[in-house]
Amino acid sequence: MADSIALAPSQPLGIFRRLAQYLPGLVLLAAVGYAGKFLERSIALYARSHHVTIPNIEYVLWAILIGLVISNTTGVPAAFRPGVATYEFWLKAGIVLLGSRFLLGDVLKLGGLSLVLVAIEISLSLLFMTALGRAFGLKPKLTTLLAVGSSICGVSAIIAAKGAIDADDEDSSFAIAAILALGAIALFIFPVVGHWLGMSDQAYGLWAGLGIDNTAEVTAAGALYSDAAAKIAVLAKTARNAMIGFVVLGYALYWARKEGTEGVGNKAAFLWRKFPKFVLGFLVISAVATAHVFTKDQLTSLANLSRWAFLLTFAGVGLRTNFAEMRKQGLRPFLVGALGEIAIAFLTLGLVFGADRFLR
Amino acid sequence: MTQRNEHRSKATKPSRFKLSLDAWAVTVALGLSLLIWIGWIKHVPW
Repeated sequence: MADSIALAPSQPLGIFRRLAQYLPGLVLLAAVGYAGKFLERSIALYARSHHVTIPNIEYVLWAILIGLVISNTTGVPAAFRPGVATYEFWLKAGIVLLGSRFLLGDVLKLGGLSLVLVAIEISLSLLFMTALGRAFGLKPKLTTLLAVGSSICGVSAIIAAKGAIDADDEDSSFAIAAILALGAIALFIFPVVGHWLGMSDQAYGLWAGLGIDNTAEVTAAGALYSDAAAKIAVLAKTARNAMIGFVVLGYALYWARKEGTEGVGNKAAFLWRKFPKFVLGFLVISAVATAHVFTKDQLTSLANLSRWAFLLTFAGVGLRTNFAEMRKQGLRPFLVGALGEIAIAFLTLGLVFGADRFLR
Repeated sequence: MTQRNEHRSKATKPSRFKLSLDAWAVTVALGLSLLIWIGWIKHVPW
């Protein structure tokens, strides 16, 4: 999976040639994303003009489905992969821009609540995943990667932890494949369960932000429920992302001591290196919006820019998910991940229901 | 010898300032916000 959509090798190319490398994939992302938006609008128009009731399927789902079909039938040709891999960039830019839709006070209130829930979720998930990995006889470092991936932040956390604990490439690709496959499944299951339980937008958004691993899948699962739920899901996930540095630092120190290798050096510098900088960008935009620097029209434009960035992200989620590649990675890491995810989904659901009165 | 080593290490130092993916995303998003604020981008439709 990891090699199916890899970032372009950093060759000493001219700026225009480097940009040209990304162009085909960017066009594909835009085409898939826009096709999703076009389908949603066309179906709604058809239903209105023919006076028939058709359930509204959001552009988010269409974009992901079209991407999945391409990725799992023809595959993504090599020329398109560097551009498709930029979906992470659009995700982070979209989250920063989404900050304009939050008042800083709400961020601090909801973010503070999220941080408390995140701390509980991370502690219990790490313990549970570690015990599960041992019970299934997984390699200790693979268990660490799966624990970090499922408790904090999916692929980014696994990549950060891989370097810090000096794990094998094979272990990290197992963990990434398992987390991606489970994220893709959760993306479809969470909205169904949320509707079935009649959850409010806020409660559902918090649950998706705490329970789903990858930020892209969290954003999509939130958007599949409602616009308001997507906002809360991204905020909760951002609070979770902010913890990457601390957990990875803990594991780096643990493995350095266990293997008698060199430690991490300056801990503050290590934390800063691992800290996701887009969290700061999100807070800056939120603070600027709270200070009424932007007019109402400008805020609408910023929100729309964020939606366009997410549209490219959703297309990328579908295009980078290849089930055949994931199957090759083996069943045991997937099984451990799946059991862990189910437990984390229940745990976070309990936490959200417990915190529900603080959300009102 | 030491001088040559120092010279070599200076030559092999990365000369360009590189931004991470995160930092690029923040820079682009803040740049676009600035363009909207100063009115260069009038309206973004959806």
